[in-house]
Amino acid sequence: MRRLFFGVVNGFAEIWGHKLRSLLTISCVMLGVASMVLTTGFMEGFFKGWEVSLQEQGGIEKISTTAQGVKERQAPLAAVSPGLTRADARAIAALVPQAALVSPEIEATRPRLVRGGKSFEGRRGARVLGVTNAILEINRYEVASGRAFSDLDLHDDAEVIIIGSKIRDRLFALGEEPLGAFIDFNDRPFRVIGLLQHYERLWGTYNTLDWKNEIAFVPVTTMATKVQRSDRLSYLNFKAADITRLRETVDAASNVLAQQHRGIIDFNVRTNEEQLASFASTKASFVIGGSAIAGVSLLVSGIGIMNLMLASINERVREIGIRKAVGATPFNIFSQFVAEAVTLSLLGGAAGVAVAVALIKVLSATLPPGSTPLLSPSAFVVGFIFSVSAGVLAGIYPAIQAAKLDPIEALRYE
Amino acid sequence: MPLGFEVLRLDRVGKRYPMGDVIVDALVDASFTLSEGEAVAILGPSGSGKSTLMHLLGFLDSPSSGEIFFENRPVASLNESQRARVRAEKIGFVFQAFNLLPRLSVRANVALPLAYHGSPPDDAEDRVDRALDLVGMTNRAHHKPGELSGGQRQRVAIARALVNEPRILLADEPTGNLDTKTAAAILDLFKELNRLGRTIVVVTHSPEIAAHFRRQLHVRDGLVTEGGFA
Repeated sequence: MRRLFFGVVNGFAEIWGHKLRSLLTISCVMLGVASMVLTTGFMEGFFKGWEVSLQEQGGIEKISTTAQGVKERQAPLAAVSPGLTRADARAIAALVPQAALVSPEIEATRPRLVRGGKSFEGRRGARVLGVTNAILEINRYEVASGRAFSDLDLHDDAEVIIIGSKIRDRLFALGEEPLGAFIDFNDRPFRVIGLLQHYERLWGTYNTLDWKNEIAFVPVTTMATKVQRSDRLSYLNFKAADITRLRETVDAASNVLAQQHRGIIDFNVRTNEEQLASFASTKASFVIGGSAIAGVSLLVSGIGIMNLMLASINERVREIGIRKAVGATPFNIFSQFVAEAVTLSLLGGAAGVAVAVALIKVLSATLPPGSTPLLSPSAFVVGFIFSVSAGVLAGIYPAIQAAKLDPIEALRYE
Repeated sequence: MPLGFEVLRLDRVGKRYPMGDVIVDALVDASFTLSEGEAVAILGPSGSGKSTLMHLLGFLDSPSSGEIFFENRPVASLNESQRARVRAEKIGFVFQAFNLLPRLSVRANVALPLAYHGSPPDDAEDRVDRALDLVGMTNRAHHKPGELSGGQRQRVAIARALVNEPRILLADEPTGNLDTKTAAAILDLFKELNRLGRTIVVVTHSPEIAAHFRRQLHVRDGLVTEGGFA
């Protein structure tokens, strides 16, 4: 115990005695840890952001169908197909038992929402979709007040509308009651029957879920007959009843659609699973790239530490000679130098974590959403362990050199 | 003062090492005995082999031939770690250049050998105090070596050599870096320590300094001869 105490006190005296050299060593480890933590944090932030956005788009059980151009060999026959219509939605609901919910969606081409003197339109304006209640569950919308569509609304092509929070804020003054009020949608008055929940996920001051607030729903029937005057669907989304049978659900739906379209493949059935797969490959390249960056920074900090330790030994040959003369064994000298490397690495590691925290705080406020690094515990553990071990490993070779010094030669050294 | 038991005995000890292409005999068939309580000067010009002899006596080196007995046990074959342990527990070194660690306080310098003791004594703190008191440096315990005069530094070095209560105190030109007056004071300190029973070996090139010691060993061209008892 006493010996340990002497060792620690002497070690700190040495570290304190060589402030500049110690500071440089600590900086090496600090940069190593900080870059490891930041790289890992960036990757985790990216992965997490992607996961959240996938969830908000309906999760991996969602299957989306969109119209697409036909292949060249079918081009002459393309006109034979009726295209993606509400009939397809009915067909899937009737013929594909694996599909749990079917959501036919028609998007207004040029939506314009007006109330009193206030309007909401333009390129970054609201989207208005003709839908059924299925979209609420598939795309995760919640009606906060008022009600969803009734069967009657759909049957009668009723002129009713459910609006998102941003549309309410734009068209209604504070304290005005939107429910029951009328909004002109493309010059036709629609009665507000429901208000969607306000969605918010902030990165700094930017709300990455604003797109869910800038949306309005009308019955799909109303949209088809009175606004777009076409039965063509913009999207046909449905949900797999059993996630383990996702593939089978997609195949069954594709068959039904091909039948409906008279064999013309002018549609594309996609699952988020494909997004998941493409994400996995992106993730892999991120991990490889990130590891390479972290590896290089580790190597650089390791070389820096080793260099400084070797320089320190040259400077301290005489000290080593003195210690050996008064009875230090080679192992004593070796452990002294390794202990110094460990102490410096730990100090550097702690400083690196502090720097990484500060940088992540700053970057979170300035970087665009989706790429903001996360303060994840695993990033800290990984960064800390790797850099500190690099510091210790880099200290071992110089420590061996120090232990091997001949005390007689070392004492003669000037 | 009657001489005590044998501490160290050299039996035809030789040391040779290569220097470039030639083999140098630094020490040839040295045989003598050091007894407890002796004060011995090893006298010789530079290059005579006295440093080699001192390294062998201090377990910094192993002989090429012959046998060294420490406390009647043959120790020639000790490895480096074992020799280090003997140095930590049984030998005290005093150098011409003092060789204090500049970053450590006087107290920490004196305590240094105890850190390398096989079983650190429980009274380590008391030993440091006693050693500092013996050399009259108690009031400077918290100074750094750089803040001390040459004579004071050598006193600290002597305290460090005494802290492990060694069987032999080995001093290599201990007054070489000191002015005449300070050197005399240090020599007086060695004599006082010897009077208290400490076995002392001083290596020097100066006959005047050697004259302060009861027994002299002359080293010339690697040969050790008894210089007689003063």
